[in-house]
Amino acid sequence: MKCYVCAQEGRSSDAVAVCIVCGMGLCREHAMREELDMWEGGYPFPAKKVKAKIPRILCPECYRALRGK
Amino acid sequence: MGDLVKRCIAELAGTALLVYFGAGAAAITLMIARGTDTGTPFNIGIGALGGLGDWFAIGMAFAIVIAAVIYSMGRVSGAHINPAVTIALWATKRFPAGEAGAYIIAQLAGAALGSLLFAASAGMDAVTIGGLGATAPFPGIGYGQAILAEAIGTFVLMMVIMGIAVDKRAPPGFAGLVIGLTVGGVITTIGNITGSSLNTARTFGPYLIDSLLGGPSLWVYFPIYIIGPIIGSVVAAFFYDYLAGEGTATA
Repeated sequence: MKCYVCAQEGRSSDAVAVCIVCGMGLCREHAMREELDMWEGGYPFPAKKVKAKIPRILCPECYRALRGK
Repeated sequence: MGDLVKRCIAELAGTALLVYFGAGAAAITLMIARGTDTGTPFNIGIGALGGLGDWFAIGMAFAIVIAAVIYSMGRVSGAHINPAVTIALWATKRFPAGEAGAYIIAQLAGAALGSLLFAASAGMDAVTIGGLGATAPFPGIGYGQAILAEAIGTFVLMMVIMGIAVDKRAPPGFAGLVIGLTVGGVITTIGNITGSSLNTARTFGPYLIDSLLGGPSLWVYFPIYIIGPIIGSVVAAFFYDYLAGEGTATA
């Protein structure tokens, strides 16, 4: 699989990851890694943030949308 | 430790809101019905205006405030706002003993605060006429009958909590709504038997503030609202675990 963003720019590079939201292939340069907090518990128990985080790989476009930019 | 303090503050605030709006609705109904011919000694004023509709209205006040507290504070403290719920979760080894004690103290203090704030808002008629919505068995209802009714009502409440919230297979997001409506429905039926407390703290708050401000003294009935809710909730928690525990197939 090739990197979609690079292809749009007229370049060709191998994809090393896939955006979890839109599914586009991403090279190392365009893959954005985001670590999301993970919570356990909730009614009728207090919710607690656990130490482990969930890694998410996103394309630049989806990353900006996640961040509300 | 700081985390436990915050959670206890949430329990205190949640129980205060429960008593202010729920028990407050019962007090308001008695104040509105003041002087109305009740027709039967079984009717002490609640029910005089619209029969069971009065109890339904009180039940809805409880339903809405319970849903509000669960959705707003459920993630902070678990929003038990009821010692019987805390004790049932502790009894089934889901909640630590040390924290359970702190929660119960916070719930009792919150209930007293809720009653005090209601008296401050509505005036002394809320104490002398409304009794701050204190619960007591109705005329003709014996001590044992009242304990039984409270136990059955709390059994239903705890079964629903187990099914819609504690059980990991439950659909998320419905707990506040379903639990609130359950309490509202139980109040509609049991209200005119025991006042339908289902909650030791909900009875404690009005009792304490009534005593301090010169309202009715009903402490002789307090054991009903300790024994009944605790038996009902603990039996329900174990019963649910027996019925739906691991290894039990679900449809």
